[in-house]
Amino acid sequence: MQRDVVGGIMMRELMTKWGRRNLGFAWLFCEPLVFAFPVIAVWSLVRAPYEHGLPMVAFIWSGYMPILIFRHVTGGALGSIRSTAALLYHRRVTPLDLFIGRQGMEALGNLASVAVSFAVLHTLGALDWPDNYPLMLLGFLYTAWWSLCVAMIVQVLSERYEIVFHVWPPISYLYLFYAGFMFLADWIPSKWRDAVLAIDPPLQCYEMVRSGLFGYRMHAHYDIPYLTFMLAILTVVGLLLMRDVRKHLELE
Amino acid sequence: MIRVSEVCKDYHSETRQKQHRVLSNVSFDVSPGEKLAVLGKNGAGKSTLIRLLSGVELPTEGSIEREMSVSWPVGLTGGVGPSMTGNDNIRFIARIYNKPFKEVHDYVEDFAQLGKFLSEPVRTYSAGMRARLNFALSFAVDFDCYLIDEVIAVGDTRFQQRSHEELFEKRADRSLILSSHVPDVVRSYCSRALVLHRGRAKMFDDLELAITIYQEL
Repeated sequence: MQRDVVGGIMMRELMTKWGRRNLGFAWLFCEPLVFAFPVIAVWSLVRAPYEHGLPMVAFIWSGYMPILIFRHVTGGALGSIRSTAALLYHRRVTPLDLFIGRQGMEALGNLASVAVSFAVLHTLGALDWPDNYPLMLLGFLYTAWWSLCVAMIVQVLSERYEIVFHVWPPISYLYLFYAGFMFLADWIPSKWRDAVLAIDPPLQCYEMVRSGLFGYRMHAHYDIPYLTFMLAILTVVGLLLMRDVRKHLELE
Repeated sequence: MIRVSEVCKDYHSETRQKQHRVLSNVSFDVSPGEKLAVLGKNGAGKSTLIRLLSGVELPTEGSIEREMSVSWPVGLTGGVGPSMTGNDNIRFIARIYNKPFKEVHDYVEDFAQLGKFLSEPVRTYSAGMRARLNFALSFAVDFDCYLIDEVIAVGDTRFQQRSHEELFEKRADRSLILSSHVPDVVRSYCSRALVLHRGRAKMFDDLELAITIYQEL
């Protein structure tokens, strides 16, 4: 791991993306909120305050923030080697450094906005203090890890196959239904539940977040060792793909 | 010393299923202090060869050994981030090449004469300004071998004089590999030439002969 290269890329990311706008670095936290607040507001107006025994605002907040993390981290990865090709002209800068610098920054920014939006909604009285906040935090961290794994694979594939640019947007929309944005694992018929959980890592991340948030008010289904194992495998796959990418690189 | 042996480079073709071979069995050496020109028509593979020499792209077959520090390909694109300002680029390069920011900054300021443009994004620069920034950055880092892709002719007279001074007076012991279309530039910088044509490469110790052959291709 090349600390100064990754640090330089993160710095560059901060400066070019947020550095010189009016709000400066505050955008790092605010940008995701610009999307989050209207969505939460609209949903909480059209739905009853409690559904399935859970407070609606908290349910939507915990549903939407992981979506934001996923969409921002993976969306920015699409074709991102091409868009930063100029920096790859320096032999020391590897595609992996660029990935860690840029997508890592994106993940950190989104996690920060989770914290900020929580603080704001909690202060307004719209969100109760979580039942088990370390578990909720761990759930968000696993969401970020999962998003980074997918981003790594999407990035490398988009570099090799043009079709990924067309296929990825619909997949990331379908993700809304797949990931657990609007449902709990407990609502899945019990005969299918284990099978779904086994192939749906983000659903398990959701369960951790919500279990941390709601505690005894819901019956959560997740298996941290299994989830860790799956994400570790995805990480290795991503790293192996990434190692090869220089060979397929076609710079300007 | 840089040793290029039996290097081939294929690119993926958008229209045909077959890979397109840009360079085929290219071999040559560059010794310390040598000034080598790379001549060839548009699309002959000059920039590809320069990128392979720098190590930012890898050859499909063959090998390139570097026993000295080699610059990034100094050209109009690449090396400097277009969405970053001049100062951000200075900061980034100082950081990844372990140089003090102030040293690099002062050198670039003096050499490139970009003034207040250093705090503007590079994408707003003219071709000549980009060339000046990229040159200045590569001189500030200091390499044993400079790879220059076509940009010297882009700059104005003052810039050309400064570059010549840097490469021949202050860095006479360094190597230079320069791709260019302009015979006068090649004459004033280089002593040998590699001519690229249809993927093949031939080395000429006689520079004038190389230029004549290139002009008749």
